[in-house]
Amino acid sequence: MSRIINVGDQLPEFVVPSVDPARMKTMAAILRDPYRVHWDREATREMGLDGRVINQGPLNLSYIVNMLHAFAGPTSIRRLTVSFGRPVFDGDLVVAGGEVTDVQDSILVCGVWLKRGDEIVVSGTAVVDVAALASVSS
Amino acid sequence: MSNSTSPLGYRFPGGRYTIADWENWLLTDCTTAQTLPENLAHPVSLFHVPILGAGTSIAELFEICGAEGPGSVGLDSYDWEYMHPLRVGVEYRMEGGIVRWENLVDERDQPYDSMSFSIEMFDGSALVARITNTWRFRRKKVVSA
Repeated sequence: MSRIINVGDQLPEFVVPSVDPARMKTMAAILRDPYRVHWDREATREMGLDGRVINQGPLNLSYIVNMLHAFAGPTSIRRLTVSFGRPVFDGDLVVAGGEVTDVQDSILVCGVWLKRGDEIVVSGTAVVDVAALASVSS
Repeated sequence: MSNSTSPLGYRFPGGRYTIADWENWLLTDCTTAQTLPENLAHPVSLFHVPILGAGTSIAELFEICGAEGPGSVGLDSYDWEYMHPLRVGVEYRMEGGIVRWENLVDERDQPYDSMSFSIEMFDGSALVARITNTWRFRRKKVVSA
């Protein structure tokens, strides 16, 4: 496959229609994460959050990773630098997106984000190697 | 500002970790994706694998840093570098520790401690990945008499 990539190109979005609390429970077990806000609605009620559980940061980041994989392949990611701005709750619809900000040979630097509506909940930078995609230009 | 003791410089015991096939399948399912080909592990394994492989845990980090219950811990940032893709079934070696600790105040004048820990992950002598994660430990405001 060959593709011309330019600064300013938008990456195809990855959509999670509804963040699933059952997946948070499984993730908590895998991570050995004792933080109740991910699986116990009573914990978030105590915080005044209406009993909605909070998605794990790694899961929020994973949607950005899945977006990058769909664009550049499963071994493409070289670096992820992200900040977590707002919590994501069960039932939220979130969309991962990105934009190419620099191209050096086969290495792309991309601004990446996770949005809930117009609100950015995770933002940062990804460095990806698109050598497998062949043609790259700046 | 903070009633916790600084854990700056704390070194994790270090150790080894092998990503199991079932573990990678479940984790990838949690991300809503399909498992990757050729024994590739999902890159988000770079959260729990270094922590557990370094001989610590989220619970221990909470304890060391004096977490104070629901809502007291927040994520600030991750910086994850991949020198090689992660793979299922490979035994990785980890080493690292707490590299930063600052007493800060947020935009609402609430005190918190900002903690960063860094872990390197090796396959034999080859550096495979490096993480630096920054977490926030919110503190109750001390009111003077």
